[in-house]
Amino acid sequence: MSKKTEKQTDLGLRQFIKDLGYLSGGAALLATTPWLQSFTPEKAKEIQSEKARIALIGTGSRGQYHIHNLLPMKHAEIVALCDIYAPNLKEAARLCPKAKKYTDYRKMLESPDIDGVVIATPLNWHAPMVIDALSAGKHVFCEKSMALTMDQCKAIYDASRKTDKVLYFCMQRLFDEKYIKGMQMIHSGLIGDVVGLRCHWFRNHDWRRPVPSAALERQINWRLYRQSSAGLMTELASHQLEVCNWAMHRIPRSVVGLGDIVHWKDGREVYDSVSLTYRYGNGVKITYESLISNKYNGMEDQVLGSKGTMNLATGMYFLEGEDASANSGIEQLLSQIGNKVFAAVPAAGSSWRPETQKAYKPHYIVEGKYHINDGLSMIGAVKDGSDEILSAFCQACITGEKGKDIVEEAYCATMLCLLGNQAMEEQRKIDFPDEYKIPYMKFE
Amino acid sequence: MFHGSLTHIMGTRFDLVLIGKGRELSVSVWDRIIRELERLGNMLNRFDPASEVSRINQKACSGAVRVSDEMWKILLDCRRYHDRTAGLFDITLRDFSALDLQPERQAISFLHPELSLDLGGYAKGYAMKRLLEILKTCGAEHAFIDFGNSAIYGLGHHPYGNSWSVSIGNPYRHGEPVGEFALMNTALSTSGNTPDYTGHIVNPLNGEKNTDQKMICVECDDPLDAEVLTTAMMAAGSGQKEKMMKRFQVIQWKEFDLQH
Repeated sequence: MSKKTEKQTDLGLRQFIKDLGYLSGGAALLATTPWLQSFTPEKAKEIQSEKARIALIGTGSRGQYHIHNLLPMKHAEIVALCDIYAPNLKEAARLCPKAKKYTDYRKMLESPDIDGVVIATPLNWHAPMVIDALSAGKHVFCEKSMALTMDQCKAIYDASRKTDKVLYFCMQRLFDEKYIKGMQMIHSGLIGDVVGLRCHWFRNHDWRRPVPSAALERQINWRLYRQSSAGLMTELASHQLEVCNWAMHRIPRSVVGLGDIVHWKDGREVYDSVSLTYRYGNGVKITYESLISNKYNGMEDQVLGSKGTMNLATGMYFLEGEDASANSGIEQLLSQIGNKVFAAVPAAGSSWRPETQKAYKPHYIVEGKYHINDGLSMIGAVKDGSDEILSAFCQACITGEKGKDIVEEAYCATMLCLLGNQAMEEQRKIDFPDEYKIPYMKFE
Repeated sequence: MFHGSLTHIMGTRFDLVLIGKGRELSVSVWDRIIRELERLGNMLNRFDPASEVSRINQKACSGAVRVSDEMWKILLDCRRYHDRTAGLFDITLRDFSALDLQPERQAISFLHPELSLDLGGYAKGYAMKRLLEILKTCGAEHAFIDFGNSAIYGLGHHPYGNSWSVSIGNPYRHGEPVGEFALMNTALSTSGNTPDYTGHIVNPLNGEKNTDQKMICVECDDPLDAEVLTTAMMAAGSGQKEKMMKRFQVIQWKEFDLQH
């Protein structure tokens, strides 16, 4: 890619974070979102003459999504690509013709010309690759979830404590403006006490990729088999459970759940329907549901407060006691005056009464610009924080500054996913096991 | 432009759009308005057991209750409206003659054990008058005041029009407008049934609840006249309406049959 087309793509979020710092309480906010502290426009200027030399392991759809995000970044260059599946490696090489190609990631890690590694491989490969890359002295950015098993997660967490290298997991909601602002609103008490959390992710798709030969089924459709995947929980729920913990500032104590294959009975081993309840120490519960044979309800991360409801995925909130229909006349009048228009507004009618409210008035978390992730894309949504978190990682490859709390957040979220799977498989309530607790976790 | 909104006041919501007064003055006007609405709510809300009207309702059956100067004026005003509407506006909802007003003591007693006062058809109009006084004292020339959609006042005009234009929505067919009014220093009150709130208007002359699918809108210079008249008109027979309107300075009134 030529220099002319390079641009700083993450300036929106950087400016937003800078603005937060100027707001009253901004310092307190940055203290509760410490991973954002260095992600400022000033820092972007400071590192503009340097480039993080990035290698990718895994060049499938998600790997290529990261390539597209990396290419325009001023402070990154893709120097190496690695995959065992030739068609994907070829396509990635077409995007980055100067990058060196590998089929053995260990061989690639021996190269001294790589600062950071981006891992977008099947879940069972995360732990060995992350640990090997850290041991090889590379900074690491790995796709979520953290790993396939609890022991692997603990091993990664322990490795991250020992290394001086940077480790990021792609928990992109941590870098999504509407989540950051929405959390600020929740923590400032806008929706009152958090009394419940409802998250769901619905799609109507078999979750399969086309397979050129039957021998490649388990390699390409790795998400469908337990040897390589923990199914809907690690692929989808991990983001949402992380959001719940972020809102609650704590970790659930226990989980119960039911999982089944109800529709896609095609030989897969992971559930296509899950329903779980996570319970926090104060009795607040997360109701989690995911189904991939009906997409009516889409995807939402909903925080229920005693004074309002925050729909983080769609970037909207609603306050108790506000009626949408009754207010529409005044809203129209305000909008008219703002736009210098004069017309009749539907303000008059029989008396509005608070006890008959039916619809709530929507407010936008980030006024004027919001990007809604409908959850339907199997690769990644536009402007969901993925490019920003990757940009922050590339910055960290240059500065060597660790991403505060990111490993811990990824660890907590992944552990909850895996505990959820255990609860569904064993059909019993699972308490958070002591051996996997880390000091970061607050249960009360 | 300043917009103030209260979601729960005097049993409904309240919105004020104030034009051209700057932020500081607008905020201080809004503060005065909130205080006045809360004061009136504390006096006139029969659902608040601590309000003055509740105190009357609790004690006036068993003896005379002395009332505040303001409440006394309100009660006399309600009696005048009762007379001018030939009994169709009635804060007792059943028998105004059972209300014993004692001027020498500025007291009230009920001559019927089940009597009680309901200022619901009066309070919003009265409050609107008080708010207009505040706005005029503060030099406001252009404002839109909306009391839960059923009582509206257009002070001056819209910044880009020569009035405040409002349309009336049909509660039985969502989004369908049935009429339009251009308010300029005038008040519009609306009364009627809605699909989920029917039978709240009682004919004081026969005690029957009105369940008609209709809506009545009255535009007057005086917001209290408009408020009282819409309530009285819901109960009036066809012959009574024109007669009653002649006793008031009404700019226009409309009745909408919403059955079809």
